Parts: sequence; C-alpha cells; structure tokens
Amino acid sequence: MNKNIPSISKLNNLFLDKELKPSELFEQVYENASFTESILHAHLELFYDEGLENSKKSDERFLKGESLGKLDGIPIAIKDNINVYGYKTTCSSKMLSNYVSPYDATVIGMLKETGSTFTGKTNLDEFAMGSSTENSAYGPTKNPWNPDYVPGGSSGGSAAVVSAGSAVASLGSDTGGSIRQPASFCGVVGFKPTYGTVSRFGLIAFASSLDQIGPITNTVDDARIIFDNIQGYDPKDATSIKPEYTEPKNKKLKIGIIKELMQEGVSKDSQNEVNKVTQLLENSGHEVVETSLPLTEMALSVYYLIAPAECSANLSRFDGVRFGLREPASGSYEMMNKTRAVGFGEEVKKRILLGTYALSAGYFDEYYGRALKVRSKIISDFQKAFDDFDFLISPTTPSPAFKFGEKTENPLEMYLSDLCTIPANLAGLPAISIPTGLSDNNMPLSIQLMGKPCSDYSLLDLAESIEDMVSFNHLPKITKGDNES
Amino acid sequence: MTKDFNIDDISNLASIHLEEKEKLKLQKDLEIVLEHVDALKNIDVKDEKIDIHPLSKVLELREDESTPSLSHEDAMKNSPETKDGHFVVPPSIE
Repeated sequence: MNKNIPSISKLNNLFLDKELKPSELFEQVYENASFTESILHAHLELFYDEGLENSKKSDERFLKGESLGKLDGIPIAIKDNINVYGYKTTCSSKMLSNYVSPYDATVIGMLKETGSTFTGKTNLDEFAMGSSTENSAYGPTKNPWNPDYVPGGSSGGSAAVVSAGSAVASLGSDTGGSIRQPASFCGVVGFKPTYGTVSRFGLIAFASSLDQIGPITNTVDDARIIFDNIQGYDPKDATSIKPEYTEPKNKKLKIGIIKELMQEGVSKDSQNEVNKVTQLLENSGHEVVETSLPLTEMALSVYYLIAPAECSANLSRFDGVRFGLREPASGSYEMMNKTRAVGFGEEVKKRILLGTYALSAGYFDEYYGRALKVRSKIISDFQKAFDDFDFLISPTTPSPAFKFGEKTENPLEMYLSDLCTIPANLAGLPAISIPTGLSDNNMPLSIQLMGKPCSDYSLLDLAESIEDMVSFNHLPKITKGDNES
Repeated sequence: MTKDFNIDDISNLASIHLEEKEKLKLQKDLEIVLEHVDALKNIDVKDEKIDIHPLSKVLELREDESTPSLSHEDAMKNSPETKDGHFVVPPSIE
C-alpha cells in the first residue's frame, strides 16, 4: 500500500479524533496530484473547486459529530466512463470529447450519499478497450513504479492515482480484467464484485454481459468499505441482482490452484507469487491443492467474440445524432460513417468490426452462438470446481507490467495480458487482485483470488488475511512524500 | 474460416468509413484474432444452452410506472444540432 496515505478506517479515526480535517486531506491529495500528474497523466480532469467545497462540508459534519460514515470526506477518483452529473464523461474518446453527463450513475449517487469527495475523472483505454491505456485518445497514463512502463488497463488512470497517492481510492470498471490487471501492474488492490451486485446504470456500456464496476484501493479493507457502499439492487439496471452473500462452511478453507494458469505463457515471476502465498495459506492451516479447469484455455477466444459482439451493438448509439461528435456531411448515412471514422480510435474500430462480423448473417451461429455455448461450459466447470473448493487462486497477470509499445504490434500479445482475469468475467464471479511482491526490476507482482457468486465478503476476508501475511509495504517511484525520487 | 472476411462489407455494415491504409492493418489484425478463436470449433457444444445472464438470473423489468426522469431539455443538451426540441440531421432521403 501507499504508506503516504493511511487506510480509509485510519483516516476516519483521524477525522473523528479531530487530528485531521477532510479538507486538509483533500488539499494534501490535490497537492500530490499537482506533483504526479505532470509525469503520470492519470487524471483527465480534476474537480478541485467542488471537491474542496464538499470536503469543507465534511469538516463541519465531523465538527458537529454528524459524520455520514467511513467514506465521509474520503477523496475518490472516478474512471471517465462513469457519469458524474455536470462533468464530462469522455471515455477517453474523441467521440465524447464534449459530452457532459446529464445525470449521476447509480454508484455516484450512492457515493455522494456517503459524503465522499471526488478528485476527478481518470484516464482509460478508449471505451475501456485495452490493457495499457495506450488506446486513450488523450495520451497514455504512466506507471507510478516506473514511467517507462504501462499502468495496465483499461482502468490504468484509476490504478495509477491510488498508487501515486493522488486519490485515496478510485472506481474502475472490469470487463475482462480492467480493474484487476492495472491494480496488479500498479501495486494496489483491485476488486471485481460478483456480476450484478453493483449497478452499472450510468456506466457507458462496453460489453453488457461482462461489465462490472468495482473499487481500486490501497488496502483490502478499503475495497470492502467502498464495495459495501456501492453494492445493492438497482431497478435501473436490468441485470442487477438481490444478492444473498455466502460464507464458507468451515474456517479451514480449501483453495484450488488453477493448473491452466500456472503453465507455459505465465512467467515464473507470476507463478512464484502464487507458490509463495500457497505456502503462507498452508502454514495458516488451509488446504491448497492444484485443480484443473481445462476450458479456461478457451476463455480468451470466447471473450474476443462475446465482448466485441456486445460492443458493436452498444457503440452503435454513437452516430452523431443525439450526443458526441458530428462530422459535417451532405447526407445522414455519410455523416454517420465519417463521424464514426473520425471519432473512434483503431482498437475500438477493430472490436466493432470483429463484433459486427461475428453477429452478421451466416456467421452468428459459427462465432457468437458458439462462443456463448462454450461460455456456458466454462460456467459449469467453475460451478463444479466450487463444489470442491471455497476459493480459487492464480496469478492476476501472466507477467508484471510491460513497457510502452511492447505489445502494440500484434493484437493477441496485448489480449493475452488478460489471460488470467477473463474467466471470472465470463462466469460472473467475484475476483480480487492483491499485491504480493516485486519483480527483479522492481515492478509489482500479485495474486488473484476468485470465489463463487456472492461470496464477495468472504473473498475479501481471505484477501485481507493474505494481505496481512504478505505485508506488501513498498512504495512506487512517482509519489509525493519522503520517498519520492 | 476467414476466407469470407471482407473488410469493405464489414465496415459498411458497421457504418465506419475506413481509409485504405487502415483497411490493410485492420484486416491483418482481425485475421490474427479470427485464426485464434477458430480453436472454439473443436469444442463440443451440441447440447449446450445459452444464458444471457452469467448467473442464469431472469432479467427483471421495472414496474410500468411513471417516475421522474431526464427533462427533455437535458436529454437534448449533448446533441450536435437541435431545433424546436428536435434533433436535426442531414437529409436521409436523396
């Protein structure tokens, strides 16, 4: 965790004990951002005036003993594909460069109720499609551990701000690993809740059967606090569920190591972290054994048909008529063609074209239909695995963060960086990435835990016990404070 | 599997105008991806059902009740061109 920023619970205690004011914290975080942003480019927009004003309202509540809870006065950054009323939601796309949100996403409304303040909107791969933020139309975000390296993506900005201390926590969205992979690359905690437990109303849709909003934080407890405040049924999201959270039957847990995510294609560094944590879990009395989910190897192929198919449908709304960019033309059809040509970047076009093809007449059954059926088989495999195991463990990513430009030539190279995270999205499972160590070149390494649907709180409990055992206390290079370089 | 992939047809279906240089790059990239997903052909899915919700939940619709929503004015605010409360578009019939 970033030692310059205490955990949310500690900050709340400092507020309650009158040792720190929320407005002082906001100013400190803003000062950090003033230093780090010129290097990292993690925020696309900072909300200084409104953030400071809201934090002063928190000051008054704490003074009067009327605090709204643990998130009161906590500065949180928001991924720029989530609507915050009155501010731009660009999705890091030219298409939406002037789009101003006319309403709050449900999660934003819920956070406002907690008294938390917003630092601003964070950078992402355009429309959340990518694994490095190199696809942002506004330029990439740099990794706070080493600016020559990518922060991961698509929620790269949200991970970098937490890592660098320019926000206490952030919201990201995760369609194939977009919370967990950047959290892993930036040495912070990334939690993708069970599909349907957190409303996506107000999240600009990418792939609706996969998208999930979740927190990126310094500690597992911080992730729990934010999840607790944004989860719950929302009638505005048809996929929202009324969750009945589950607990494991025994205190002594049975945890499965996914064999297919511990073989060729996954670096020794990443595998070693899982082995290290396995040893710690066994020392604590838990049982950890290898298990096989053979269809996990098909997850990437399934994902790269389902996600583009859904994205091609979702992004058809960007036609230059109701919102966003419009390119001048003499006819409507020409206007749409030109607007979409200019407004979308290369990766977004690629995925729309792929999805259009997979859904087109004559190919639907062969591609999209088949992918959905293999997805059902993958879900069945996970259900069977959870008959035997309480949780599953794997690396979060096949390797630590890579350098800019390293994976931009061949699309599969980039797509493979989501190899370990995609299965949880396909099966709707809760999954969390926690930092556990550093590579030889001082880049963060992590492990991923997955649980059965609605085991979110017990998954967080296990993650927290691993966090305690591992004691990851390293600081990134680019951060404001005593350890800055 | 990819022999029928025609970048012109697909970009036309997707309503995205592509420059010649872009077409070459996208065609190459898409062929790489399509070749990779070909592996799915080897999986037996004969008796498999399709679930829309990954947790097999039935999607619930809201009650058919009138509730406060975006005002007409707010809904139009982000449009590139409006007139008298309507969206303006270039001619669509030649």
